[in-house]
Amino acid sequence: MTRRWLIRIGLTAAVWLGAAFPQTPQQTSAPVIIAVSGDVSTPLTLKAEDLAVMPREKAKIPEQDGTEVEYEGVPLREILKRAGAPIGKLRGKALTTYVVAKAHDGYQVVFTLGEIDPEFGNDQILVADKRDGKALFGYQGPLRLVCPQDKAGARSVRMLEALEVVKLQK
Amino acid sequence: MRRRTLHSLAAGAVFAVAMYAATNIRLRAAESEQNSYRWNLPKGFPIPYVPADNPMSEAKVELGRYLFYDARLSVNGKQSCASCHKQELAFTDGRAVGIGATGESHSRGAMSLVNVAWSGALTWNNPTMKNLEEQALVPMFGEHPIELGLRRDGGFAQWARSDAIYLDLFPYAFPDAGDPYTIPNVTKALACFERNIVSARSAYDRYHYGGDDSAVSESAKRGEVLFFDQRLSCFRCHGGFNFTDSTVSERNPNRTLEFHNTGLYNAPGLYSYPPPNVGIFEYTKAPEDVGKFKAPTLRNIAVTAPYMHDGSIPTLEGVIEHYAAGGKNGHDNPNKDPLIAGFTISAQGKADLIAFLQSLTDAAVLHDARFGDPWRRE
Repeated sequence: MTRRWLIRIGLTAAVWLGAAFPQTPQQTSAPVIIAVSGDVSTPLTLKAEDLAVMPREKAKIPEQDGTEVEYEGVPLREILKRAGAPIGKLRGKALTTYVVAKAHDGYQVVFTLGEIDPEFGNDQILVADKRDGKALFGYQGPLRLVCPQDKAGARSVRMLEALEVVKLQK
Repeated sequence: MRRRTLHSLAAGAVFAVAMYAATNIRLRAAESEQNSYRWNLPKGFPIPYVPADNPMSEAKVELGRYLFYDARLSVNGKQSCASCHKQELAFTDGRAVGIGATGESHSRGAMSLVNVAWSGALTWNNPTMKNLEEQALVPMFGEHPIELGLRRDGGFAQWARSDAIYLDLFPYAFPDAGDPYTIPNVTKALACFERNIVSARSAYDRYHYGGDDSAVSESAKRGEVLFFDQRLSCFRCHGGFNFTDSTVSERNPNRTLEFHNTGLYNAPGLYSYPPPNVGIFEYTKAPEDVGKFKAPTLRNIAVTAPYMHDGSIPTLEGVIEHYAAGGKNGHDNPNKDPLIAGFTISAQGKADLIAFLQSLTDAAVLHDARFGDPWRRE
């Protein structure tokens, strides 16, 4: 009887504590996947597990309220390098290469390889999957671009789905 | 009496703490650079811009609340600010257009006062009206139309001095003033009360800022994605934490404000919008400004029907249909914003978008005693 009562009390306490301190559920989101296609030697499809083991960087971005948020993800240049884009080898006609970043809703923006190549612009542009340590969700994610060097935010594509590399002069 | 006032302030503070603690929003106690008033703002909300000559104070907020609900501030004692700005309707009045104390109709609807502290433009179509202290004079003394219908020589100071509550509150709010019973002090207190009406506790806030996945429905989550979809582009005019593009803050007080012609009308004749509602053209006199109005905050939009500057669309569904059509009656208005390009949306998409807009309703702000009628208790 005593043991049964102890179990009852324990269960009641667990239920009470669970109600008093509910776990914050993780936001649900679409599966992480990004395709790299176009004028590259190795077209790719990267999933969450691929992005997790690639070189990762963080970037702090000021918010409207004056605070900063920290995005984390894989540098765009690393993804393009893996697909065989001429990052680090930009010479001659290769300098006419650009990448089109495409979002789920059809939104598109363009970056030249020269902007992100370490020997030229060397801009840090991230394909981010985390914001302040949490997976991106809702209209932001599951992947988005983060462009800390841009003054306006319009190239920080939300709901990023695909990267298409285009070489103008072949 | 002062003790009662202090008790009411203390009770308000306790209530505020309890309400915030009840939500799953991380609070950020922020101190303005301009004064020591503490804004309890959640993450994502910047400190509002406050004019240097009217710093926030709890005493002014409380005085402003009494004045806001005081019908003696109208020509015939029939209306107060709250007559057109009802708390339970997110400080709107449920009418297509406002009606003043003498029964005269306004040509536009009463705007919500929720989060007005971040509002760069305070009216539907006056780009120069940026200051709450100045704006309060329009409903108080304006004659076209008559709203509260006060007269400058209406004897305000006499009756205010004869009221025991104001005898307490005015000197408390303006301790350095030789004569605190002045109209500029009335507008300062009203402005402080209005700036203090912060809506940040909606289901969407708990979901987006608080990390509570169960705070909104799956339909609302789909609606959020649609809202931020490039094809619909709702967020382009109703973006940011306050879902409007007229947001200013302490860090960014002088932002360039946008006004939009949404293709509501395309009337023949001199103006494409029916006068007197010709948009910011009324002030700029630039022909391309005919029909341009402010994009109001969408926070609590589900309780502020009817919609648009003249209340001509009764439901949110009607508003979505208007934008989906690229502007119905005014589809071909030459001043129409290129963003009003139209889109296709399924019945489910429409329902999802409405569910998202409903998730912006902050039940707490609609019932918070700190924003309610203080005279009821007296």
